[in-house]
Amino acid sequence: MRIVVAYKWTCDPEEATVSADGTVDWSRAKPGISTYDPVAIELARRLAEDAGAELIGVTAGAKGVGAPIAAKAALGRGLDRVVVIEDDSLTDVGRSELAAVLAETIRHIGDVDLVVTGDSSVDVAAKMVPTVLAGELGWPAVAEVTAVAGQAGKLRVERAIPGGMQVLEISGPAVLAASADAAVPRVPGMKELLAAAKKPVEHLDLADLNVPTRSAVMTVTRRSRPDRKARKGQLLDTGDPAAAAAELVTALRGAGVL
Amino acid sequence: MDFELTDEQQLIREAVREFAQVEVAPIAAELDRDHRFPYELLPKLAELNLMGMPFPEKEGGAGADYVSYVIAIEELSRACASTGIIVSAHTSLATWPVYRFGTEAQKERYLHGMASGRRLGAFALTEPAAGTDAGAGTTTAALHADGYALNGTKMFITNAPFADVYIVFAKTDPERGTRGMSAFIVEKDTPGFSVGEAEHKLGIRGSSTPPIYFADCRIPREALLGAEGDGFKIAMQTLDGGRIGVSAQALGIAQAALDASVAYAKERVQFGKPIATLQAIQWMIADMATAVDAARLLVYRAASCVDAGRPYSTEGAMAKLFASETATKVADRAIQIHGGYGYTESYPVERNYRDAKITELYEGTSEVQRMVISRSALR
Repeated sequence: MRIVVAYKWTCDPEEATVSADGTVDWSRAKPGISTYDPVAIELARRLAEDAGAELIGVTAGAKGVGAPIAAKAALGRGLDRVVVIEDDSLTDVGRSELAAVLAETIRHIGDVDLVVTGDSSVDVAAKMVPTVLAGELGWPAVAEVTAVAGQAGKLRVERAIPGGMQVLEISGPAVLAASADAAVPRVPGMKELLAAAKKPVEHLDLADLNVPTRSAVMTVTRRSRPDRKARKGQLLDTGDPAAAAAELVTALRGAGVL
Repeated sequence: MDFELTDEQQLIREAVREFAQVEVAPIAAELDRDHRFPYELLPKLAELNLMGMPFPEKEGGAGADYVSYVIAIEELSRACASTGIIVSAHTSLATWPVYRFGTEAQKERYLHGMASGRRLGAFALTEPAAGTDAGAGTTTAALHADGYALNGTKMFITNAPFADVYIVFAKTDPERGTRGMSAFIVEKDTPGFSVGEAEHKLGIRGSSTPPIYFADCRIPREALLGAEGDGFKIAMQTLDGGRIGVSAQALGIAQAALDASVAYAKERVQFGKPIATLQAIQWMIADMATAVDAARLLVYRAASCVDAGRPYSTEGAMAKLFASETATKVADRAIQIHGGYGYTESYPVERNYRDAKITELYEGTSEVQRMVISRSALR
């Protein structure tokens, strides 16, 4: 059995700054594996350990994703090997284009039985790539996955649905997007981190992949931040809680909120 | 000159920080309040190979370099100084002398278990009347037909009574002073060995440091570490490395106090604006950040000397002296920035302040570090 985890190497938005015109400065943000992707790796790793499967990481992006530390960070979390596509044309690439690159990479790897992704990327959070990737591959896509077990050709998948959960049996290859709390990622051990440098890393040229050219071009033409509503700055004296509560209710009614 | 950490060192910092935030930081205040040793952390630390970082994999260690090891101690101490010294004392003071001076048989019996974290270690040098003057110890090891008989008292023994293996220093020839001191490996259940009441300390209250007693404690000849008379040399060489571990602990405490101060200065509003906008606070933060960074450079430099196989006694002493005094000063300023709140248990800086002081005292006081440094400078 061969399992691929598609992960993103990107910067944490909490370390970025947003200017008044909405542009984002990432220069002081430290890159790392996207927040929810270690959950996907952990979910896939448990399945791989149970099924004796090979666990392969795949990532694609602009300059930086091919850095040795990026591969070591992923390999240190238990992947057997990683496949990297680093190309500056993937800077701010759309989700459908990225999914197409990942799909071609997965075809290049061959004999892949399952693809697992994180819930969403920490920087864009569009939750689109797993679904579009599945469409590119012609495989079913399952989101909000909380558990997966089984072998190639017969997977038992649990997913969260509004108000409950659902159990699915999947008989062929599929793309699963792990829910953010599907598993608690293991902290990498020191030996695992030190051994990561010895694991295989395959760098693919984007030009060598048969990614279809897109006729439609989408570019961001404007960004803006939502207007900040002026605050009333009204403070309540909570020395007498009952009086403060009454004052709060009066103020809310006066503002038309209640 | 390259000030960048390697990929592995950066990833080790992130991993240990993640572990410390999830497993250690949430219990740090409780360990301090209840004077409780975090026994439950030991298997978790062992699972991540944090109990034997600088030792080869074949010996049970992680096979990491010394810089990675001090980064791990720094990050653990940033969350909890007690946990930092538990790991540092086990690694630098107890496991290292077995690795460095042990016979093949001793390594086979002890090293793998200690470096992998299955067996906790302790270092027993200090006595009630022999602290800085470590050579004045009166614990004796009398040779008998079937081994040695230990008699005496050791105190401030980090990791006792939880440790399984103790490196004990005793006089085999009291007439010869420091040259009559020898080192021994003593197992916890040896008859005649006992542990006293826990000390109630100002800080690092999660670290257990009771006295231990030897009353006709019989140990085999094979328990001798190194040769008879080598004990003082073994103790001093061991402390050279231990000091780098303590300097990393001090660095972690200082960083924690700085982190807390930065966060507080940004959120605390006085005169209608965050106190971080006040120059008085900004200058304190600037001095703290500069001192912490300077300490870090000294600590990492000392560790890199170990990795390079260069002498590190002076460098370790400089790192410990500067980092420990920095920790105390930075924690003091942290309380000043927090004002009255900083004096309460509502914020971690009062614990940082109490924890910091010990780093100026144990494994050689600041005065001892100055002696070591001045001897080198005036040579």
